[in-house]
Amino acid sequence: VELVRALTELREAIAATRYALPLPTADLAGDAASAIVAQLDDYLLPRLRRLDAPLLVVVGGSTGAGKSTLVNSLVRAPVSVTGVLRPTTRTPVLVCHPHDAPWFTESHLLPHLTRTTGVTVEGASLQVVSAPALRPGLAFLDAPDIDSVVDANRALAIQLLAAADLWLFVTTAARYADAVPWDLLQVARARGTTVALVLDRVPEGAAEQVAPHLAEMLAAYDLGGVPMFVLPETRLDGLGLLSEQLVAPLADWFGALASSAGARAGVVRQTVDGALRSLVPSIEGLAAAVDDQVAAVRALRSSAHAAYQSAQSTVEQGVRDGGLLRGEVLARWQELVGTGDAMRALQARVGRARDRIVAAITGRTVAGSQFQAAVEHGLITLVRSAAADAAEQAATAWRLHPAGAALLATERGRVDLAAPSPDLPQRVERLVRDWQRTVLDLVRTEAGNKRLIARASAYAVNATGLLVMISVFTATSFIPTGLEVAVAGGTTVAAQKVLEAIFGDQAVRELAERARSDLLHQVRTLLDTEEARFTAILDRAGVEAGTADRLRAAVDAVEQARRAAPLPDSPAVPLPPAPAGAGPTAPPASASAPPPSAPRPSAAPPSAAPAPAAARAPGQGGDGVAR
Amino acid sequence: VSLAVRGGRSRVDSVIERVEALRRFLAAAQDHVPEPELAPARTVVDRAGQRLALSRDHTVVALAGTTGSGKSSLFNALSRRRLSKVGVRRPTTGIAHACVWGLESASTLLDWLGVPPNRRFLRDDPGAADDDPALRGLVLLDLPDLDSVERSHRLEVDRLLALVDLVVWVLDPQKYADRVVHEQYLAQFRGHRDITVVVLNQADLLTPVDAERCLADLRRLVDDDGLDGVPVLATSTVGAPGLARLQDLLERAVAARQAALRRLAGDVDAVVDDLAALVDRAPPADAVDRGAQRALADALAQAAGVPAVVAATRRAYVHRAGAAMGWPVLRWLRRLRPDPLRRLHLPSAGTRDNLPVPVSSLPGATPAQRASVGLAVRTVGERAGGGLPGPWPAATVSAARRRLDDLPDALDVAIARTDLGLGRTPFWWRIVGAVQWLCTLAAFAGLVWLAVRYALFALGLPELPGPRVGRLPLATLLLLGGLLAGLLLGALVRPLIGIGAGRARRRAQARLRASIGEVAGELVVEPVRTVLLAYGEARAALRSAR
Repeated sequence: VELVRALTELREAIAATRYALPLPTADLAGDAASAIVAQLDDYLLPRLRRLDAPLLVVVGGSTGAGKSTLVNSLVRAPVSVTGVLRPTTRTPVLVCHPHDAPWFTESHLLPHLTRTTGVTVEGASLQVVSAPALRPGLAFLDAPDIDSVVDANRALAIQLLAAADLWLFVTTAARYADAVPWDLLQVARARGTTVALVLDRVPEGAAEQVAPHLAEMLAAYDLGGVPMFVLPETRLDGLGLLSEQLVAPLADWFGALASSAGARAGVVRQTVDGALRSLVPSIEGLAAAVDDQVAAVRALRSSAHAAYQSAQSTVEQGVRDGGLLRGEVLARWQELVGTGDAMRALQARVGRARDRIVAAITGRTVAGSQFQAAVEHGLITLVRSAAADAAEQAATAWRLHPAGAALLATERGRVDLAAPSPDLPQRVERLVRDWQRTVLDLVRTEAGNKRLIARASAYAVNATGLLVMISVFTATSFIPTGLEVAVAGGTTVAAQKVLEAIFGDQAVRELAERARSDLLHQVRTLLDTEEARFTAILDRAGVEAGTADRLRAAVDAVEQARRAAPLPDSPAVPLPPAPAGAGPTAPPASASAPPPSAPRPSAAPPSAAPAPAAARAPGQGGDGVAR
Repeated sequence: VSLAVRGGRSRVDSVIERVEALRRFLAAAQDHVPEPELAPARTVVDRAGQRLALSRDHTVVALAGTTGSGKSSLFNALSRRRLSKVGVRRPTTGIAHACVWGLESASTLLDWLGVPPNRRFLRDDPGAADDDPALRGLVLLDLPDLDSVERSHRLEVDRLLALVDLVVWVLDPQKYADRVVHEQYLAQFRGHRDITVVVLNQADLLTPVDAERCLADLRRLVDDDGLDGVPVLATSTVGAPGLARLQDLLERAVAARQAALRRLAGDVDAVVDDLAALVDRAPPADAVDRGAQRALADALAQAAGVPAVVAATRRAYVHRAGAAMGWPVLRWLRRLRPDPLRRLHLPSAGTRDNLPVPVSSLPGATPAQRASVGLAVRTVGERAGGGLPGPWPAATVSAARRRLDDLPDALDVAIARTDLGLGRTPFWWRIVGAVQWLCTLAAFAGLVWLAVRYALFALGLPELPGPRVGRLPLATLLLLGGLLAGLLLGALVRPLIGIGAGRARRRAQARLRASIGEVAGELVVEPVRTVLLAYGEARAALRSAR
């Protein structure tokens, strides 16, 4: 119960995980995830709820291997269509004893397949047929092929194989080295599914070579303990069945399995246990894929960020020495203070002279041409160009990343990320105007204050001047001439103006510094919205960092539950051994082709010489089962 | 039964020209289109060159198919020898075998195909009972399987399938509907319908009725693969349908000696179709946008400091005019102030082309100016490539930018080489200067005369008689008149200097703009134009490769 709950949680966690970024691992992970979910739904959860349910043998293999014929022959009735056209079986057929039929028709296993009883309907359906010839406790499922041109067959077959308690893998002498079935056998081995193997349609005399080679290959693929049966290429009887004699070893083997509850439980136990065990590495694979996604998102995000960071620093460089901005502040200052043209020139000259002196002392050059009032144009160009470069740089960085390239490709229809957003020029102009407005406000609040200081200082200087003048007057016997008064007044005014210019220049410098940081702040905001065009795509992809941990936690819970509550231990009954006499026996059909309806007795009885590989002892891989 | 030949003889005959056109396309596009997009075409061109250089009297026919379909049996049956090992152990054949009909051994062809020498067999026994003269020139290849667990076999098959002239796909009743054959091989050969044959081997295993149905089903699958019209035959090496029809088909293919060219034609078709999207739009009529060019020239002029040079030119004119025509007594004072042009380290009359140009002292471009140059350059590239498909817009932008780093220096050189028009001293400067000197000399002469008279007077010597003009002595008149005339002349030429300075300024402006325009043309517009030309060439070449 604990295990079922843990598995349900794991299923939810897997189903909730998305692999949005098209990384190399993402497709594989998506397929693997849906396969795991399917296996949980179709097999593990229903099977764990009822461990004593009848054993399901899925007969799977290549197209044309004779799966349907084999199933028909085992149940001694033509339940599944056979034929020469490939692929023959398109709807899976489940054959069971009438007694077991309710379990299979009630959609415990494979709940997504609709059950039909007779007529085949298109779509995902499962035809359930009762066959009294079969013993209860064991059912055969004739699966579609795994390698024909019909893709739906392959997907369905893989789904069915995942739901098998025991997989009866059928191959032929012509097919046994095909790559596709071996890939599936690898999957079965990784999942711990119990496998039995039939080498079908072996031509005369070929068994001596083919069977040992197949056994070698099995051993090389770490499937050495799999029971193997060899059936010859032969003519079918009137019902399209193999002769009873030929399938006898196989039928006996399954009979023994069906009659022994212990052996059945052993098979189920091994398959379920193997499937549970295999969850750990496959979920780790999924979690790693999620990690890849998270890492890719981080890499893409940081490359976009780096691009816009460098754009920001380009703008910072551009306004660093302050001349550009001081022109703006100075102009606003003069407009507010309301100086005349003479004063304007004086103030500009003071600023320039100060720059020259600083330059002479520090050795830095003066960019004199920057000291102009046309700040809008320069700023707009600077910001626009920086944003355009950043967009291009970020897009290039993304293009070099597999996931980034795919994201760009999907976005291409809507926005061109390599170019800045189309309304950027307007936004930059707006930004500069907004900034000018704040500069104006800044100057407005500061100007009065600074001017007062300038005035006060000027008065102080003037007072000193007055004192000096009074002493002069004393010396000239207090005879003030009109001329002297005029000179005194003139110097006072001039001193005040010069000082105002000097203090004003200082104020302008301080304000320019503040205006600069304000501008950079606004540019930062603008570039952030530009950068958001990239990050929004990543956000939309919906990669969550915590998903991998949730997957790992869920699979840990399953593993703990599995350890805590081991499956009910079956009595140590091994699988019945593969009978030694299952070698290829029937003589070949003659080259002249009699019509298939003519019943051709498979003449010779099982020969005394057994196929070497068929004698192989079926040492079971599952722990505890063979002991 | 015959091959699904498309097009007439001309289609085959033009293969060589089409390959050549494809080669021209590659040459035009290679610098501007990412290499991965061109790689298939390059492979085809290379392969075509190699194949056409080799024997065209031989027809290379490959037997390809799944493991256990009887490729080797068919190979042996066609060659009437036991050359390739036949067996039940799968996969049987690991390395391609070749059998050559005819007197020549076609060894260079087989070297090219990569068939090892110990797997080559020669049917050169004319007059023998089993001789097939009609097959002379056939090179039959027995390929490894394409679906077994041995991945290396697949690689070998893929390699050889790209080289052979005609492919016989050998399938059997058990495997004829396998996904790997149809999806990964037959469907990929839809461009090569005229060199593809599909046989259902081991047909003897089926009853004739079943064989008919099976063949019809295979026909349907092959049509679904896009290979309609391709011959689909039933064969057997041991029983009923036999090999007669296949042999007949091969004989005709060998006799026609067209398969190699057809194969190449199919290859060219395929890559041309893939490449068509790269050049599917007409190149823009107005190659490089004029407005963008003007904006570029403006931005470059600002960044290169043209306004500063123009202003300096005007001031230099005034300065030099002052030096040439100012009042000679105070002329030296001018020397105390620097010549504005010389301050910028610019020559007055441009440097002659063959002399090296020293760098000017113009201030560097400000970040804002650099940014506006960047924008203008990008705009030129974008406007030029705007209407082009695929990778071309990126190519025009990067072409426009390619020499961005060279721009500052090229602009500096262009400015230094520009003749600002101050090299020659105008004639009227000389005249006015001479008159100034005359006035000054007159004043000086008057002064000296007066001084002499004063000395005589101080020493109590008798006064020298001197000419008089009216009531004034000539000496006084000379002195005062000279001084007055000099000052007057200086005042009179001032407006003239102003006019001249204005003209010098405009002239410098025009000349500098022209030089900047040349630089923009050479470093920005020309690379863009090269890309557009390459586009046009590639488009024309691909059209003739069609």
